[in-house]
Amino acid sequence: MLPQRMKKAITDNPKKLANLIDLVNLPSTLREFVGQSQISRLGCFMSVWSYIKTNNLQDPNNKNVVNCDEKLKSILLGKPQVELAELPALIKMHFPKEPK
Amino acid sequence: MGKIPPSFRSALTNPNLRKPSSLFPQPKPPNNPHNFPEKKSPKFPGKSRTPNPQQPLSLFKSPNLEDAKTILNSLTNNDPRFLHSLLQSFASISSTTTDSIAFLRHITKTFPSFSPDRSTYHILLSNSPNSISSIHQTLNSMLSAGITPDKVTVDIAVRTLCSAGQVDDAVQILKELCSKHCCCDTNTLNFLVKNLCKCRSLSTVYAFIDEMKAEFGVKPDLVTYTILIDNVCNGKNLREALRLVTVLHEEGFKPDCFVYNTIMKGYCVLSKGSEAIEVYNKMKEEGVEPDLVTYNTLIFGLSKSGRVVEAKKLLRVMGEKGYFPDEVTYTSLMNGMCRKGDALAAVALLSEMEAKGCSPNSCTYNTLVHGLCKSRLLEKAVEFYGVMKSGGMKLETASYATLVRALCRDGRVAEAYEVFDYAVGSKSLTDVAAYSTLESTLKWLKKAKEQGLAV
Repeated sequence: MLPQRMKKAITDNPKKLANLIDLVNLPSTLREFVGQSQISRLGCFMSVWSYIKTNNLQDPNNKNVVNCDEKLKSILLGKPQVELAELPALIKMHFPKEPK
Repeated sequence: MGKIPPSFRSALTNPNLRKPSSLFPQPKPPNNPHNFPEKKSPKFPGKSRTPNPQQPLSLFKSPNLEDAKTILNSLTNNDPRFLHSLLQSFASISSTTTDSIAFLRHITKTFPSFSPDRSTYHILLSNSPNSISSIHQTLNSMLSAGITPDKVTVDIAVRTLCSAGQVDDAVQILKELCSKHCCCDTNTLNFLVKNLCKCRSLSTVYAFIDEMKAEFGVKPDLVTYTILIDNVCNGKNLREALRLVTVLHEEGFKPDCFVYNTIMKGYCVLSKGSEAIEVYNKMKEEGVEPDLVTYNTLIFGLSKSGRVVEAKKLLRVMGEKGYFPDEVTYTSLMNGMCRKGDALAAVALLSEMEAKGCSPNSCTYNTLVHGLCKSRLLEKAVEFYGVMKSGGMKLETASYATLVRALCRDGRVAEAYEVFDYAVGSKSLTDVAAYSTLESTLKWLKKAKEQGLAV
């Protein structure tokens, strides 16, 4: 079922998929964090999430909350704490829709 | 085995280098009742003359002709079977047919006692680099050696081209060989029809069958019709399927269990339980004995159209007839129960199933996780998800999405992230699919929270 559905998703909405996997030139703050000059939104999410996991930044009392370190603060609006639930939205802010 | 230079010995013992030849079909896995009947068992009359399939040699490491010749010169064994293995090994890595043919010529020159026969050329054919020109080249060299192609040759040529996805070329070569040399048998016809069905329009397939019948006298048989019916059923074109059944009767064939199963599947996929039952009754009227696939299909169809009670009855009938329900039967039933919202009954069925010695598969667990999440029994679902994880089973799109959604709704976002990691790590879904689901779920969660619907 998956390939069929994927195909449908792609044909229905090619833009949506494109802005998820297209490589984008990064602003300097993000460039420093991921260590690359270009990355897709998906790749960016993956690297932020794995950064959180490797550095054990999830709050031990409430796993749904991330205690940001300095590096993470720099890309997530300088908040000291973010909820995991808002992570995709926060990352999306670095990937503005391209003006037509 | 002949004398082999020490440097090549490692290649002989390395099991990773063994490459099963396409000449010898691997034993098919037991028919999964979800994949519908494929009766054709490819038969190769030439099989007994070809080398032992258990030990394909992987002697050659480079496709270079000169290297191969050097190795050949160092060998002393002239057993034809051994030479066939050598040829097979070289042809499988050689990049051009010219090289393979030249190598064969070199073998015959080195060992004058060895005379290539039809199976020798079959080895070359099955290892041709998948283009019509190389097939032609091999066939020409076969003809110039005074060997005429037979049914097996036709079959191998067609299969080689089909496996490379060149169905049109396969049709062309089939017609050529049939008009010039010998006829093909229905196995080849069926194989080609099956491949044509996958990628060409129905009218093309019909035209091809008519042409084969009119020009070469190769008549479609019951298997051909089953393939066609299966194809139209998959395309949800049941009217055409019924027309085919009447054609089948007119041609003097009596539909067998496979035909009925295929039609039944067509109805079941469309959730048309009553029609499926009608087919089942007709089948009994005609005196065709239902098999395990029939029952599985019917139980699947009834469960899908929400008639679990009848499906359960059928489970008993099935047992009386001496068929043991398998994991597909039980999973279909569980699916039906979950659709009705009775996930706990499905869990109960799981223990019944295990008690009868039938072990659940990943599809079973996916069904359960999906159903439990839908019935808001998150704890149980997480428990089964744990079982899946420890068994390394893959998540399906639907169960992944429902599980992530249910976890988020309960405010267990971290666990949803963990499920996401598992889905990506176990390659159940593509990164894109898994992430899109997670992202849209979290977006939905935010909205739900604003409206005070979620935790």
